Amino acid sequence: MARRGFKKYMDKRSPATFKIQVTSMVDMFVILLVFLLKSYSTSPVQLTPSDKMTLPASTSTKDPVDVLKLMVSKDAIYVEDKKVMDLKGGIVDMKDVDANDTQFLRTLYTELDQQAGKSRTIASKNEEVEFDGKVILQADRSLPYELLKKVMYTSMMAGYSDVKIAVLSKD
Amino acid sequence: MRRSFGSRVDDATFELNLAPMLDIIVSIVPMLLMSVAFVHITVVDTPVPQAVEKAMAAADEKKDQVQILLAVSKETGYRFTISEKGETRDINIALKGKDLDLDGLHAESVNLKKKYPDVFKVELNPAENVPLNEIVATMDQVRTVGPKEAKVVFNDVDTGKPVETNLVFPDVVFGNVNGG
Repeated sequence: MARRGFKKYMDKRSPATFKIQVTSMVDMFVILLVFLLKSYSTSPVQLTPSDKMTLPASTSTKDPVDVLKLMVSKDAIYVEDKKVMDLKGGIVDMKDVDANDTQFLRTLYTELDQQAGKSRTIASKNEEVEFDGKVILQADRSLPYELLKKVMYTSMMAGYSDVKIAVLSKD
Repeated sequence: MRRSFGSRVDDATFELNLAPMLDIIVSIVPMLLMSVAFVHITVVDTPVPQAVEKAMAAADEKKDQVQILLAVSKETGYRFTISEKGETRDINIALKGKDLDLDGLHAESVNLKKKYPDVFKVELNPAENVPLNEIVATMDQVRTVGPKEAKVVFNDVDTGKPVETNLVFPDVVFGNVNGG
């Protein structure tokens, strides 16, 4: 008797296969897709801002180019992610400054000169590559011009005279 | 045999198969997530003056060229120095409270551009205590006019016809990097 009742219950029950309602999921994905397409970057060079600094904001819309990256935070100066100099709250240690020229940062110059040497060697062997002395400067927005002037002066001495300041786009 | 009313209603309503569409979207989303730029970084050109020889040669070539210098100070504000035919004159833009007067600077830049439409270069001389964000803001005010503002008109060198542009002084150069 009980067995017959169970069979009846199983027959009445809905089938084991069922359809998931995916309409709302598709809606969600379409919204996500539109947002991602809108913020999709077509620039060939991607600069990732460091968490050690806040870049200044600007209305400039010029995309970055693939050149040497110089990063100046309050604590250190980096060349292509390699720490070359320590700073104390944006102030240069006197041991890194040239005794005869207070604008000249010797340690930074040594590293930049090496980089320039490498680029010049590549340029001399490959006609398609040209050393144009361009450098992208990523610097904290609160750093004083006093420090940036020293960095730019030193980079100019090493052959990097075309400085491009990295900024956050306001658009 | 006639079809019943119920079966006609069943034919009219059908379920769209969304599974393939979902498959495509699920494939595209990770790809876009990898290449998306949530923070858009751009660059501002600030060519540092080249070697002294080159600068002197260029200065010799452009003896009659009007030179515009912009000094930035946290204590006194902005000061334009215009050198024309051996004579210099200053235009001061005082601080707005304790901050630099960016609106005043922009208005004065547009006025200067109207007076000297063929000049595109400004030498920027910030004081040592001016922070980078204020330097960049200054450069923005000097470089372009906003989308709602009247455009700058200058004559094309080749055709002689007036050309409209939103660029005021696009070539902003740090003038005192060499220790000047």
